[in-house]
Amino acid sequence: MEAAMRIPARKSFFRDWICTVDHKKIGIMYGVTALFFFLVGGLFALGVRTELWTPYGRFVDSQTYNEFYTMHATVMVFLVIIPLLTGAFGNYLVPLQVGARDMAFPRMNALSYWLYLVSGLTLMIGMFFGMPDAGWTSYPPYSIQSQGPGIDIWVMTVHLAGLASILGSINFIVTIIKMRAPGMTFNRMPLFTWSMFVTAFMQLFATPALAGAVTTLLLDRHFGTVFYTAAQGGDPMLYQHLFWFYSHPAVYIMILPGFGIISEVLPVFARKPIFGYHAIAYSSVAIGFLGFFVWAHHMFVAGMAMSAGIPFMISSLIIAVPTSVKIFNWLATIWGGAVEYEVPMMFASLGFIGSFIIGGFSGVIVANVPLDMALHDTYFVVAHIHYVLFGGSVMTIMAGIFFWFPKVTGRMFHKTWGYVGFWFYFVGTQVTFFPMHLLGLAGMPRRYATYAPEFHLWNQVATIGSYILGVGTIILLVNLMVSAKYGRKVENNPWNARTLEWTVSSPPPEHNFDEIPVVTENPYQPYPDLEPETESAPAGA
Amino acid sequence: MPNVASWLPPALTQMAQRVDSLFYIVLGIVAAFFVIVEVLLITFLIRYRRTRKNRTGKGVHGNNLFEIIWTLVPTVILVFMGVISVKYVYAQQTPPPHPVVIKVTGHMWYWEFQYPNGLDTRNVLDVPAGQPVLFDITSADVIHGFYIPAVRVQQDALPGRQTQFWMQADTKDIGQSFPVPCDQFCGVDHSKMHATMTVLSPSDFQQWEASQLQKQKASSGS
Repeated sequence: MEAAMRIPARKSFFRDWICTVDHKKIGIMYGVTALFFFLVGGLFALGVRTELWTPYGRFVDSQTYNEFYTMHATVMVFLVIIPLLTGAFGNYLVPLQVGARDMAFPRMNALSYWLYLVSGLTLMIGMFFGMPDAGWTSYPPYSIQSQGPGIDIWVMTVHLAGLASILGSINFIVTIIKMRAPGMTFNRMPLFTWSMFVTAFMQLFATPALAGAVTTLLLDRHFGTVFYTAAQGGDPMLYQHLFWFYSHPAVYIMILPGFGIISEVLPVFARKPIFGYHAIAYSSVAIGFLGFFVWAHHMFVAGMAMSAGIPFMISSLIIAVPTSVKIFNWLATIWGGAVEYEVPMMFASLGFIGSFIIGGFSGVIVANVPLDMALHDTYFVVAHIHYVLFGGSVMTIMAGIFFWFPKVTGRMFHKTWGYVGFWFYFVGTQVTFFPMHLLGLAGMPRRYATYAPEFHLWNQVATIGSYILGVGTIILLVNLMVSAKYGRKVENNPWNARTLEWTVSSPPPEHNFDEIPVVTENPYQPYPDLEPETESAPAGA
Repeated sequence: MPNVASWLPPALTQMAQRVDSLFYIVLGIVAAFFVIVEVLLITFLIRYRRTRKNRTGKGVHGNNLFEIIWTLVPTVILVFMGVISVKYVYAQQTPPPHPVVIKVTGHMWYWEFQYPNGLDTRNVLDVPAGQPVLFDITSADVIHGFYIPAVRVQQDALPGRQTQFWMQADTKDIGQSFPVPCDQFCGVDHSKMHATMTVLSPSDFQQWEASQLQKQKASSGS
């Protein structure tokens, strides 16, 4: 009996990490791997911006430039944002938040990670044999004609990442439906778990469309099929329908878990219950549902009749409603609070809400058919998606990393450097991406290696901004790495948060809970009233 | 042409001016909401910061009336935006009768224009002012994007499919030239695929079309 209770003093790295099926370790591995790819994707972005420092494109040739932005977007979408939000945050947090000992299928969970890693390595190693050059959308017929193995490597990468996504989403759905602790009804579930629940369904239903699109692309490239060859009866637009049937929901896959993170961070630092728990939870469901009815807004100018865009315009405008419901509820959460300006709160409030809404509003503009006729495929769209994915997703990722860092490591990050990193990110985001709106309005098309001289100024400003973001990334990641080893040790719940993961030790034990908790209410309950302090005692003492 | 382009270029057609006014209406609405959200965010962050006196937030869980208001108001505004845009879509989709039809073909990496009299040019797009012009757009190879920023319209040029849009240049712009870039990625020289559109008076256009055709015939005959 005693022997069974004894924990081995130290496992080998191989036993401890490579063979692990522990959702927390898998989450950490997802996180570390994705942050490595974040640096790679960022370097490609800096390559793109450096090329655009002059109108003549003297840094690299046009072919290399096309490869750079293709790699940038492919890495960021498939290897960074989706794996970080679902793989890292989802895996680490969902079992803890629902009061389970692990995911429903721990071995399949490990398989998801390893497929994801192989997918990333395929792209990284493939890079030395040929980079894809057709953009992350990889539209045929260009992507069929593109020479070299680049597109084939891209297809393999997407397939493997997609398979990892599908397996992961099944795991989340089963875990959330079947493994909630006693008393954890759906209406008591933490909002991050709610957002993961919806995200998992979106991944499950959308990813197969992408798999179909890229498989047929591969067949057209090598096996003589003519799915997308117009001269032989194929249709290049079919690919776009399949691609966007995945990739528009994918935009919500890349932001919904982030919304969940924000809904966890704001009430903790405002010392309030979340405002409108049900509205926030159900608006995620609405986004997940409506997200499947807007895909053709990417194709208003792609060959459909202009009037065929009208229903997609209306659905795209309406999907802004559940998002704005969230924004107002978050503002109302801050209202009447006692806001503590900790680093995660800075990312969540000013960083995320302050920047993301610009992406939301520019989305309303390009959802409009006549305006999209003018602005489609210009830098306005580039500005829009970067405000959504950087001002949105990346800000939520940073908010989440700094929020749960003490839980995962048992240590506190360096706060001053955290603030410095935040300001680099906040300022860098605006300086990089805001001028792109102006370039787009003036008519600068996207995916241009060279451009007319009148676009020079704002391109230079954006390039300066991208370097600010580069420095900010180094500051933030070095802080995390150093603090994980040398940071001050902290107690189990340094932020005084309420969800279940904060009730266990930091880092949590391998089995999560000594005793499965019994849940009686949702985690967003009022904080006990504290008497106003008379002396300068530390807050929360 | 100004040295720094940072806003909408001059609008060449009446339709473009109408699209611009739609843009300003939509921009006005979203800008107002942008200001409201940012002001509330920053005000709340400062007003309700943690102090020695303010150590705990209010124990409020929500308010159904507010939820209904901030669901319905954006819904009404967004649907309004959609509805007012519909008539622009149909106006843009329906060309006036008897337009001058110019066939546009995208190639890697140039634009080919075929005029009604049989004239065939590369990257040279001349249009008559004051007359409706209809572009029949297709591609000889990969997908290109036929985009005239001054007209505020674009359509992709696809192989095996014909897309269309029409325009009618204002007579005040006679003699002016406008860029016609390709805006759908089409390969290594995508950013160099660029035509120039010049607005001519109808009589100059006729003359130009005829004389160019003569030259073309002469050069192909020799």
